[in-house]
Amino acid sequence: MSGLGRILLVEDDPKDVELTLTALDEYKLANEVVMTGDGEEALDYLYCRGRFAARTKENPAVILLDLKLPKVDGLEVLQQIKSDEKLRLIPVVVLTSSREERDMVSSYQLGVNGYVVKPVDFHEFVNAIKELGVFWAIINEPPPGSMRKER
Amino acid sequence: MSSRSVLPAPPDRVPIAPADAIPPRPATTLWDTSGRATALRYGLAGALVAIALALALVAERYVLAHLAFPLFLMGIAVAVWYGGGGPGALAIALSGMAFNYFFTEPRYSFYIHASDRPYFLFFVLFALMIGWFAARRRQVERELRLAHDELEVEVVKRTEQASLLDLTHDSIFVRGMDDDIITYWNHGAEELFGWTAGDAIGKSAHELLQTVLPMPLEEIHAELVHTGRWEGELGKTKADGAQIVVSSRWSLRRDKQDRPVAILTTNNDITERKHREERIRQLNADLERRSRELEASNKELEAFAYSTSHDLRAPLRHMAAYSELLQKHASSVLDEKSRRYVTTLLESAKRMGDLIDDLLAFSRIGRAEARKTLVSLGQLAGEVVSEVRRETEGRNIVWRVGALPDLYGDRSMLRLVLVNLIANAVKFTRTRAQAEIELGCAEGANGEVVVFVRDNGVGFDMKYVNKLFGVFQRLHRADAFEGTGIGLATVQRIVARHGGRVWAEGVVDGGAAFYFSAPKTTEDKK
Repeated sequence: MSGLGRILLVEDDPKDVELTLTALDEYKLANEVVMTGDGEEALDYLYCRGRFAARTKENPAVILLDLKLPKVDGLEVLQQIKSDEKLRLIPVVVLTSSREERDMVSSYQLGVNGYVVKPVDFHEFVNAIKELGVFWAIINEPPPGSMRKER
Repeated sequence: MSSRSVLPAPPDRVPIAPADAIPPRPATTLWDTSGRATALRYGLAGALVAIALALALVAERYVLAHLAFPLFLMGIAVAVWYGGGGPGALAIALSGMAFNYFFTEPRYSFYIHASDRPYFLFFVLFALMIGWFAARRRQVERELRLAHDELEVEVVKRTEQASLLDLTHDSIFVRGMDDDIITYWNHGAEELFGWTAGDAIGKSAHELLQTVLPMPLEEIHAELVHTGRWEGELGKTKADGAQIVVSSRWSLRRDKQDRPVAILTTNNDITERKHREERIRQLNADLERRSRELEASNKELEAFAYSTSHDLRAPLRHMAAYSELLQKHASSVLDEKSRRYVTTLLESAKRMGDLIDDLLAFSRIGRAEARKTLVSLGQLAGEVVSEVRRETEGRNIVWRVGALPDLYGDRSMLRLVLVNLIANAVKFTRTRAQAEIELGCAEGANGEVVVFVRDNGVGFDMKYVNKLFGVFQRLHRADAFEGTGIGLATVQRIVARHGGRVWAEGVVDGGAAFYFSAPKTTEDKK
């Protein structure tokens, strides 16, 4: 546990963003979260384009990806990431409302590292986010080239 | 004679008899070659010459001289006519001798005076000529008679064939290759097209029947000449104006010089079949359209379920989450009543979440493809029961699990059936000091096997039995027994997908039993 990984949150719903940040904040993980509101923005971040052109080149330690997104949807983002030599090592966890089997199957076929259905119950939701954050941003050793901040 | 006058005679007038039944022509008695007849013919020749001689002698004495010449010639002519060549020759020889002996100088001697020799020679030549003419005439007559006989045999034969053609229900007619003129028209054609043979024969077939060809006539004729036959479907018009479709077979008839002369056409009415085919085609198109519509509406339903899963759950989650946050942040400033409101908000959100989950699961059963394998229901029940046992620790439940059959079906779906039925049994026996839950199976009718789950719980009133399996139908108040009312609907849907049915028996406060049937597993499915 050498440091704190940066989390890229791809989520279009501001309420979900707020709730996710609230959950992460309980474990002081919220500061290292980059928020993008749709698939296009997420890809801009990953490729250092647009408003992220000036960012440091390290990859995030984990991407929390919603599936239903405006413009470029989550599965397309996932496909793009997993087919790019420079990005495919970044752990991606799908964080979605959908319990649909085909979403799950498609995600795993594309090489997703985790699939979490957002629980309706807030306690469960908080727990899920918290555990995700702790595992991917703290416990897990991310692939080389990832953004990591000393605690 | 009726209009059917040409080649075919009415069937009732033409006996269908073998050709050899034609009565033999009476033999020409004097032309016979038997021994007795031969003697008779030569005798006749002699007699005729003798009669001619006698008449000539009488005529010379009493009437007038020089009748001998024509009389002998007449005798010869009659002998040749009735006796033939041999007797004719005999008559000529005898006449010559008699003429020489009695009528040429010197008389009563066979010597012929030099001056009479040309006269005698002339007589012999004339006699030979008469004889030859008679023989030739005879010959011609004989040939004529033979030809006539042959023709008669042919006519009988053809009449017979024509009457056979009349027996068939196929419509058959013959028409000229070049002029299209109908020369034969059978009874079947009369029945099919409504024209009698009298109407049709002599007319152009295409004009009479207003034939609609599927391709140019030249092409058909080319094929006909090349292969000798052609088959196809033609449009025709009947005498009453009705339009029909016929399956038509054309066969080419050639003359002895191998020139195409006529076409024999066999037609079968396929109008009805065409109509049926058209109806079937329409029905198929209809079915296809409906199946496309169904597919489209299935897709819509799927999209609906999908978006429900995504979009309905999100605001619900937010309601729950923010209520929770409110409870956490403001509980100190909220009074008792307000805190209860927030709790109710939370409970309702949770309940709606459960409803959505159940509804989606229910809809998924209809949409999901069943992956059927051989499933051991006994093993499945064991798993479910031990799971439920862990969850119901502290409760006094007596489990009686009997032998359960192997079923051919989707394992996860069948598991859901058992989970629902067993969970219900556990739930509705909650008020019992000792709950008893029994699983077992029985032989059903029609090669089915029946599985049941029985409990000693609160039961239900049989007058509501029809409501048990409906979606969101509940027979108990929510504060008595929780639930979304979708479990038994799910059970019914799964069992129906496996080709079985469900039913239940219950007594208020006396327990309930739920049954489902399934087709027995046969060896070939294993």
